Amino acid sequence: MTPSVAIGTDIEERSDTEQQSSTDVLAAPDIPWNLVIWNDPVNLMSYVSYVFQSYFGYSEAKANKLMLEVHRKGRSIVAHGSKEQVEQHAVAMHGYGLWATVEKAASGNAGPGKGGVQRG
Amino acid sequence: MAKAFKYGLKGITGYLEPAERELLRGLVDDVISMLEPEARENQDPLAALIGLDMEVKEPKDRALQRLLPNVMKGDDAGSLEFRQLTERSLREGKIGALRAVALGLDKDDLVLTPEQARYWSMGLNDVRLVLAERLDIRDEADADHVHLMQDWSQAEDVESYLALVYNFTTWLQESLVQAMLAARERKA
Repeated sequence: MTPSVAIGTDIEERSDTEQQSSTDVLAAPDIPWNLVIWNDPVNLMSYVSYVFQSYFGYSEAKANKLMLEVHRKGRSIVAHGSKEQVEQHAVAMHGYGLWATVEKAASGNAGPGKGGVQRG
Repeated sequence: MAKAFKYGLKGITGYLEPAERELLRGLVDDVISMLEPEARENQDPLAALIGLDMEVKEPKDRALQRLLPNVMKGDDAGSLEFRQLTERSLREGKIGALRAVALGLDKDDLVLTPEQARYWSMGLNDVRLVLAERLDIRDEADADHVHLMQDWSQAEDVESYLALVYNFTTWLQESLVQAMLAARERKA
């Protein structure tokens, strides 16, 4: 990703205000498909965070955390749910120009906790 | 000289010189024509209406591959099936956002509603993805290299000119996204 000036150094400490999102509600452990966002050298870090906030309804802290995971690790699971749900998210992400794929979750790899969304 | 987008009492505002608007309009039009779905003979009009395209193939052009990526890694058949159901409407959505940018370029002073700002951020992103393919930006090192080109007096060939244009659209999109994030924060 292309670095943004606005990503401050204080975001790592701000993970206490994560919101429940619509994706949390939709996801269920028995239908494990993941939505994966891949790193690319073009998309702005600020834009990727904006998309996570505005489309998924994630808090700024959570959106930045997922964005940094994409940037540093090359990919991040940003949501999961049924195949249809993650496919719908993927096409929305393609609309925004993010590089998204869907994949079957490996067993026990559907994201930690029962919240349904990986916390990076 | 363009002014960075900012969020204020009037909403999200910016300013572009006529030459800059002309430049952006050309880029936007190019990406729109890349995305126009191919007209098909014997296309079922009802299928087209609901966005189905059973003859669609994975794009050969790298920039189009990036704009319209496969939805599954290592599953070409599954990706193609998904493409048949979704690619046409994805193309139309992208064209809609780019047309909104083109419409907004009719005036010097840009005052964007939240919806227009969203279209602009998407449209500028697609323009940048296409420019990045033409510039062969494959990794962060390539991006850093292109980023060094900031002075228009350095424009001596097509590649350096494209790099300057890329950096201009990057700057514009960054300022827009910062203004959009500021607007979100104000509302929160």
